Amino acid sequence: MENKELLKQQVTELASRVNGELEESFGVLILKVNAPYIIETLTAAKKFADVPCDFLHDLCGLDLGDHFEVVYQLSSLRGQQTLRVKAMLNREDPVVDSVTRLWQGANYLEREAYDMFGIIFKGHPNLKRIYLWDDFEGYPLRKDYVTEPIEVRNITRTRIEGE
Amino acid sequence: MDVTLEKRLRDDESLLEKNFVVTNLDSLLNWARGHSFWPVTLGLACCAIEMMATGGPRYDISRFGWEVFRASPRQADVMIVAGTCTRKMAPLLRRIYDQMPEPKWVIAMGSCANAGGPFVDSYSMMAGVDKVVPVDVYIPGCPPRPESLLYGLLQLQYKVSNPAKVRLMRHGK
Amino acid sequence: MNMNINDTEELILNMGPQHPSMHGLFRMVVHLQGETVTKIEPKIGYLHRGMEKLAESRTYAQFIPYTDRLDYLASPHNNWAYVQTVEKLMGVVVPERAEYLRVIFGELSRIASHIVMIASTALDMAGWSAWSYGFRDRERILDLYEMTAGSRLTVNIMRIGGISAEPPEEFWPALKAFLDDTPEMLEEYYGIFFGNEITQGRLKNVGILSKELAENLSITGPVLRASGVNYDVRKAEPYSIYDRFDFNVPVRTGCDSYDRTIIRMDEIVESIKIIKQAVHDIPEGPIMAKVPKVIKPPAGEVYHRVENPKGELGFYIVSDGTTKPARVRIRPATFINLQMLPIVALGWKIQDVVAIFATLDAVLGEVDK
Repeated sequence: MENKELLKQQVTELASRVNGELEESFGVLILKVNAPYIIETLTAAKKFADVPCDFLHDLCGLDLGDHFEVVYQLSSLRGQQTLRVKAMLNREDPVVDSVTRLWQGANYLEREAYDMFGIIFKGHPNLKRIYLWDDFEGYPLRKDYVTEPIEVRNITRTRIEGE
Repeated sequence: MDVTLEKRLRDDESLLEKNFVVTNLDSLLNWARGHSFWPVTLGLACCAIEMMATGGPRYDISRFGWEVFRASPRQADVMIVAGTCTRKMAPLLRRIYDQMPEPKWVIAMGSCANAGGPFVDSYSMMAGVDKVVPVDVYIPGCPPRPESLLYGLLQLQYKVSNPAKVRLMRHGK
Repeated sequence: MNMNINDTEELILNMGPQHPSMHGLFRMVVHLQGETVTKIEPKIGYLHRGMEKLAESRTYAQFIPYTDRLDYLASPHNNWAYVQTVEKLMGVVVPERAEYLRVIFGELSRIASHIVMIASTALDMAGWSAWSYGFRDRERILDLYEMTAGSRLTVNIMRIGGISAEPPEEFWPALKAFLDDTPEMLEEYYGIFFGNEITQGRLKNVGILSKELAENLSITGPVLRASGVNYDVRKAEPYSIYDRFDFNVPVRTGCDSYDRTIIRMDEIVESIKIIKQAVHDIPEGPIMAKVPKVIKPPAGEVYHRVENPKGELGFYIVSDGTTKPARVRIRPATFINLQMLPIVALGWKIQDVVAIFATLDAVLGEVDK
């Protein structure tokens, strides 16, 4: 339908501006960019003419062995357009800009990605651990994390003052 | 304090009580305690919903005298741990147990509280709640039916009324 | 010592993980000035079980019972979301009878979940009779689950390619009896809870969530629809066979807590309509498609979402061609909806915070995964 064609045209144009690659998987367009360009990409996607992708569904981290990715699922409340944007990050130094100034709903989602993968979001108002306790060591969802044996996990930890 | 040591000391203490002379008064007290438990609401996860359903109209827990679920641990005598106890929650569970006055008992409800459940090899789980507090009755199930919870409570009532018989059943001496 | 009677200090109150409001292990640190709230910091994670990491060491079919324990009040829906994502990856077509049965169980779970939400909101405001009535009616739905799947709460009824078992003979008359009793049941709830002036006084015009803020915070579900936005995944991107049913999406424009609660009664009415149509149109046929014994989807990634009773539940699965997934990401509806609490509850009294939190309908199993 012409909606999809329009979206593909605009995304291709955006991809050439930010040095991104375009793919398609099961009917959804995927745009992969490098980490420094992510704010420009998302601001432009939010303001597409006729097919704005202005609702953020989900933000998650992904560990692909040799690099990290942050995946943004976008669509719109008033149309059928869907777009998936991926930011490529380095494994040794995963830093990306935070999108909390575009969507306030990304606040807790970025904290969760930091907690699970160790990805640092620059400009986030309160980047602390959200699911695990504050002195937990390591980032569990990375592929090279080894779960501690059951004898270590059975020891009750001491309570931090203020819990 | 090491939890297995604590459990053994508590069992010895209940056996010692039997050897004293005032058995009539003791059995009256035990009868009263067993027929009016006041549970503290420690519903953690899905088993808590079955505990709420047990207190609901169909499986009425009030016919046994146990419907007074107190929110504050200072006014309760049974702690029903219903649900998954993660490593983040464990010290808080111990704190609530310490705040309950004597005599007190613990029921572990559901397979997550018994032994870790289906999540036992996760990075944030302990293998059961008996590493934190000494448990008296274990109720299996995922989640256990309300009838199972009532059966477990009746077993605890039996244990409170007859501490010596229960010890004989368990250890044979 | 100079102490003026008008000197006040800020009180920091910890509403800890164990408290009588029945929503689970949720902790809030509330800064109070007298009784008025100046700042709220929610602290979660006391039920974090690490399901996303566990998924990487289980096969696709072994993970289905784990999805039950996410939003344990409406467990068929969670199964449905996961199973449809895997079916999309593999390209499996589900037979017609299984689709209709899935819709019937899904909508029954929606009714059960909304009943529990209304009962819990009533209980938070000490309305014990509404709670008892709600749980009595919910037991009939749990009987229907037990007849088919064997379990009351965590049903595990959907499989990759269909549904696990055919409902027995006594299922259909029991379902019909339940549907016939629903108008009377709803009349009771309207009378005992919504018509009560205490409920109206505590919920009307409390906790206003404006439309722009809701869209910016990525809120979905009945909380969004009570702020005037007409968005429902069943109509926006129809999954399964929802495009064959004739139903409306209730939208209210009040933006306050009363609307967030009463919109769930509207949704119960719509669900009953859908179930009646499904029971009328259901065909005969097999209940399970031909799926290989060892499930090995091709490499790729897919994001699929359904309309959970609480919001939009999404699954993002990345597969690398083996029998175990490379990444399973669960998009929890209430975790994202929870971000509205620190903003909306500012300036209200401490008892209003309890009421606002009850209307969010948070289930901590889904928030903490």
